[in-house]
Amino acid sequence: MHEQSLFASVPVHQHHELLQQLAGLTAMQPRHCLERRLIFKAYRKPGMAGRIGASQDLQQGDLQRLNKMLNGNMYYTQVVGPVSESDFGSTAPIDRDTQMAGMDDSKPYDSSSPSYDYERQPWKLEFRDIPEAGTRSAVTSRLMSSATLPRGDVVEAMNAWGYHFITEYVVEGDMFVLNDIAIFLHRVLHYPGGDESSLPRRQLPALKDMTLFEKSGSYVLQAFIIVQDGSNQETMKTASQHLFGLREQLKSAVLLEQADRLSLDTRAK
Amino acid sequence: MAESFTLPLRSIPEKRDRPDTLPVEIAQINNQWGSFREVNEDVLRNKIAEEEEKDGLEEVEESDQDAADLDSTERLEQLYKRRAEITQFAMQAHMETMFALDFVSLLLSKQAPRQAETSMSAFLKQVAPLGSLNAEVVHPPPKPESTTKDVSAVSRGWRIQNFNAAANKLLQAASRLETEVASETRYWNEVLAVKDKGWKVSRLPIERQSLGVQYGFIEAAPVFRDRGLASLRRAEDGALSLDEGLIPPKARFVRVRVIQDGRLSGSSKPMRSSFNGDGTIEDRILQARDTVYEDELFHELVREARAIASFGVTTRQNLIQIPASDNLEILLDLVDTDEDTSEHEHSISQQGISIAEGLAHTIRILLAYAHRQNLRRRTQLPLPLTPKTRPVPEHQLIRPALAYIKHMSQVRWLQSLLEDLFGVLKSAGLEPPAYTARIFSTGMQSHSSPAPAVENLVGQFLTPLLSTFNGKILTPRGSFSIAIHTNLSSPPFGTTFEVSFNMPKYPDLESPGKLSHREEVEAAITHLLLLDVVFTISSDSSLKHECDRDPAKRTWEAIYPQHGELLIPTPKSNSGKRKKMKIVLSRHELSLEIYTVRCIDGTGRGNWEMPSYHSMPHTWKPSPIAGPPKPPSLMDFVSKMSRS
Repeated sequence: MHEQSLFASVPVHQHHELLQQLAGLTAMQPRHCLERRLIFKAYRKPGMAGRIGASQDLQQGDLQRLNKMLNGNMYYTQVVGPVSESDFGSTAPIDRDTQMAGMDDSKPYDSSSPSYDYERQPWKLEFRDIPEAGTRSAVTSRLMSSATLPRGDVVEAMNAWGYHFITEYVVEGDMFVLNDIAIFLHRVLHYPGGDESSLPRRQLPALKDMTLFEKSGSYVLQAFIIVQDGSNQETMKTASQHLFGLREQLKSAVLLEQADRLSLDTRAK
Repeated sequence: MAESFTLPLRSIPEKRDRPDTLPVEIAQINNQWGSFREVNEDVLRNKIAEEEEKDGLEEVEESDQDAADLDSTERLEQLYKRRAEITQFAMQAHMETMFALDFVSLLLSKQAPRQAETSMSAFLKQVAPLGSLNAEVVHPPPKPESTTKDVSAVSRGWRIQNFNAAANKLLQAASRLETEVASETRYWNEVLAVKDKGWKVSRLPIERQSLGVQYGFIEAAPVFRDRGLASLRRAEDGALSLDEGLIPPKARFVRVRVIQDGRLSGSSKPMRSSFNGDGTIEDRILQARDTVYEDELFHELVREARAIASFGVTTRQNLIQIPASDNLEILLDLVDTDEDTSEHEHSISQQGISIAEGLAHTIRILLAYAHRQNLRRRTQLPLPLTPKTRPVPEHQLIRPALAYIKHMSQVRWLQSLLEDLFGVLKSAGLEPPAYTARIFSTGMQSHSSPAPAVENLVGQFLTPLLSTFNGKILTPRGSFSIAIHTNLSSPPFGTTFEVSFNMPKYPDLESPGKLSHREEVEAAITHLLLLDVVFTISSDSSLKHECDRDPAKRTWEAIYPQHGELLIPTPKSNSGKRKKMKIVLSRHELSLEIYTVRCIDGTGRGNWEMPSYHSMPHTWKPSPIAGPPKPPSLMDFVSKMSRS
């Protein structure tokens, strides 16, 4: 699948107005989204690269493909999990008490407060390639793929697939849909107290304690269309034309433009 | 405004300081009309007639012009002609101005040649050298006093005339503005009133300078969504009028008619009575909204009807025919609200009306539900773009209602079947335990979903319908259960009966499982109850007790229970005749026949089987009225038979 997108920067004072404008344009109420995003980095498992054992029955083409797979670029990927506002600053559920002993003993449990259960957190793996270079079209187009992961702790599964956990952050924003176009007005939040943890948090701090990544609090407006078959020029063209149409419609409010290709580089060096 | 300072625009008519003397006037008349000597009546009449004719001609010309105005092509031509005239005038004016400029420049070139040169035309510079024209002040000879007086009087007259004309123009403009302001005020007040009622008023996307009101449904199909916007026009007097474009302003609605046994028995009424053009703007908007809703409803109904043609639904240009259940047929059509619907009054029944009204409300509620589902689908993250366009699924409007009608008819049929059969058993003196019926047992479950309660409520109506009948039978620990599923939204379509038995006496009796025909269900249940009756006779405890005491008495043994046949086993010595009982159970009666058979197992037929002395079959029927000659109960009869 391919993702075509346009970006715009929205200063914080324009945020409320733009929300209203988008709500009017798309004729829907904004859907507020909060997402945990875990960043994983691929690594070469020792002994995997370059060794092609038992390859007698592989054809030449397969061999090449396998080599490419094993020795090709490494990428960062994201694991995205939707959370709700009440999950922040809440305690773990009581019935998990015994399993999570030692995780956070200092916190008093309150059965009436809403609880965040890390073991039941759904996850989605999202891969984004570096945007295509040298396209004549004025939209950011990149290869993408996503897959649903099992609930709960993903680090183990990701490790098994050859991914290290690097860090995590939270994305807060509002989603709009206009026909094929998804419009996501969002900003990045960091956890308080830096990234000393080497594992995803099992509990979330209060939302107001989260720090803004961009200090001014400005938002990013991303409008994107996902195209099933990126090799189909016709649909790719349709998608970018829809995006240009949106750019025209929003011209007086924000300036949607192509993102810098290298700033969206997901390759692991 | 009234108290503010007013400025008279017209010049104040002033008295002539010196009225014309009579000799002057006479001289004027002489000058203009000639001598008085030539004036007589004929001349004056001719003059008047001539003048009238001239006026008449002008009038005719004017009316001609009016008529021409109406003709658009001529009007266009005239427009072009006038435009050409205007340009011509403008050109001429321009030319004259240029001449004047040249003249003045040439004149000035004597005094200030450098300055004047810049404003001279190239042609003039070529033809006339600079400074070739000069002007000097010439003192004219003094005019006689009378001439100056005349000139001043004429110029004064001119001025007064011009002032008057200007004043008239200004006053006309003022009054025009006043009416304009009044009508604008009226228009905007009405627009505000519409907005205060909660209607969405916005600029029209195609015609950006005019206002529109949105009354349609955003989630409707695009054709109908775009129709939900009408412009608010201003009439000449400022009244607000709703301009819906090409759509006929007639109110229409989807009429539901119910045909029972081939006769019209009910018809739904329009929700809102129509009015004839003199309603308020609010009424007009409401009517437009209703009409667009009804149009969409009918469009979706036709679309769905085509998809479910396999249920026997037929569509014609403006009619959908739905065979609903046994004797019920439903007709849907889109008609004007003021159409006379009081036909065939005689066969209208309360039940038919309630079905029609109920159905009319159901399809409208379901369309509103479909709108909500559209919103839900639209606001989901869009699916990846593919070259193929995804077909829009038909809304479920007819299907749930039809499923309900079909389901109810099946349930009623099963209820009447069970009532009949149990009535037959009761009339035979047997006391079958009551059964329980749970109609629409699926609708009761409540699951917590994020959707609003209203949507959950309607959503339950769209799930397959299920009713269950559970009951015990005479056999101890025996039971039966029948579940009726009706599903018209996903295959397998239609109604299925899931019949299951529990007969401990006949463990190898298999439940019939899923049946789809009423005959099969009737046969299965009748068979089960027949087995039950046979078992009851063969295991009658009172008989057993008696036969323990009295060896002459025998118990009946179910020999072929599936055929309802029982036999009295006789001691080996008496190997001749045996008594055989045959029970037949049907929906209407229970009959019992006694045969005398010769063979051992009682299988022999034909020659071997002879009707016993009681050759008349004994029948039990449920009697509508509890008559005094009550026949003996089945068990009494059986025990009597076994005794002899």
